[in-house]
Amino acid sequence: MKDIIWWCAARGVEWTWTWQAYPGVWLFVAGLVVAFFRLERRETDEALSDASSPSWRRTAFLVAAGALWLILDWPIGAIGAGYLASVHMVQFLVLALIAPPLLLLSIREEDYRALARRLPEGPFRAVTHPLVTLATFTIVLAATHWPPVVDTLMPSQAGNMLLDLVWLATGLLFWWPIVAPVPERRGWGYPMKIGYLIAATLVNTGTFAYLTFTALPLYATYELAPPFPGISTRDDQTLAGLLMKVGGAAILWTAITILFARWYRESERGEPTPA
Amino acid sequence: MRKPSRSMRSCHLALSAVLIVLAGVACGGKDGSADLDDATGWYGSVLEKPVPKVDFSLRDTEGRPFEFASETEGSLTLLFFGYTNCPDICPIHLASIAAVMRDFPYELRSRIKVVFVSTDPERDTPERLRSWLDGFDESFVGLLGTVEQVNDIERSFGLAPSFVDPAQDSERYMVGHAAQVLAFTPDNLAHIAYPFGTRQSDWAKDLPRLAREGFGSGRER
Repeated sequence: MKDIIWWCAARGVEWTWTWQAYPGVWLFVAGLVVAFFRLERRETDEALSDASSPSWRRTAFLVAAGALWLILDWPIGAIGAGYLASVHMVQFLVLALIAPPLLLLSIREEDYRALARRLPEGPFRAVTHPLVTLATFTIVLAATHWPPVVDTLMPSQAGNMLLDLVWLATGLLFWWPIVAPVPERRGWGYPMKIGYLIAATLVNTGTFAYLTFTALPLYATYELAPPFPGISTRDDQTLAGLLMKVGGAAILWTAITILFARWYRESERGEPTPA
Repeated sequence: MRKPSRSMRSCHLALSAVLIVLAGVACGGKDGSADLDDATGWYGSVLEKPVPKVDFSLRDTEGRPFEFASETEGSLTLLFFGYTNCPDICPIHLASIAAVMRDFPYELRSRIKVVFVSTDPERDTPERLRSWLDGFDESFVGLLGTVEQVNDIERSFGLAPSFVDPAQDSERYMVGHAAQVLAFTPDNLAHIAYPFGTRQSDWAKDLPRLAREGFGSGRER
């Protein structure tokens, strides 16, 4: 049992394409799947809705779970943990910006309301306040890309798992005001949501510039890793910075476009803008 | 004046925290360097006793004799023992030095010589060694000799001789070798060694000073 590697970490050994098992990742993804289908079954059993979850909700969940599995397991998880900062950035984008909104979309409105009823209203409203979620996202983004933090966490399985889970949790919090229907906030309609996402496209500028325009490698983890064929340490770091900016912007602007289209459609139908 | 709500106070606290953290990152952000040794003023490890340059001769990758002492006279010379099948230490050291040297002006680059001595003459043919070194920098010198010759040279520099674990696969074996790069200044002494783990930022700070001012400049800091 002692020799089992549960989660990817920077191991400092030569990269090979020999498959490696990461049972911790499997358990994590399996846990998510079990939780989703149990919730879905409970809804059907209790006839909380007229039918089981619509197929788009299940699709959103399966895409999110599949994406998480893909980027946390071998080989992407292993390469991102110990060889290439650019692959680590892809993991960040999936964990913080792609999987969270899909996971939140896979939950029914009734379940959100049931959750809100169980939580103390004041702290729940404060934690999910858009300014707090945006601030948290900004802090976590900057802190978890700061070289001393990365170089401390990446060599250990627990540290790398912590980083992955913090990114996922921060992503869920960040997307909460956009996707979750609770708590309701006066004036929090499409224009504010779009503004929130536009602001989010700007908060990574400092970290992006730090990664992209620093001439020397920032992370000892990747600089002193056994070479990965085809890319130098410096090019890898520049690519990581560009992925953060361009990839992050592409995801956020996709969401902005979707929100704008929904807003336009609802305006055309004469439906009131959600308050 | 209206009293701010609890959630607004939380927002203000969070925003303050963002500013503090961002300021901390902006001001205290390291550029990936190891800690400077305040006592010596260098990022490499200063040797207790400087190592004198030994006058050895080996063949280079073109088959020509290379007299180490005379060929490197007056230059900052980085001497490293390793092998082309090395999975980590050798390529990382050489890639770091090459990347940093590419940033230097020609005048500075021309003052620095990198000499790589193969510890694996069985597999490192002259062609293979040349091609491998060219992948880092075409100016890097590659030297080849017998295992005995190379081990004698390593010993003469105070380094442990290289060894092959006999239990390993006869084709995919690893060679144990010294992991440090010796830096010989124009006074023909190596005052500093650079162990594995030396960052590009360390090389970028030490090499120009060593090449232009010599080792003595370190203590003046």
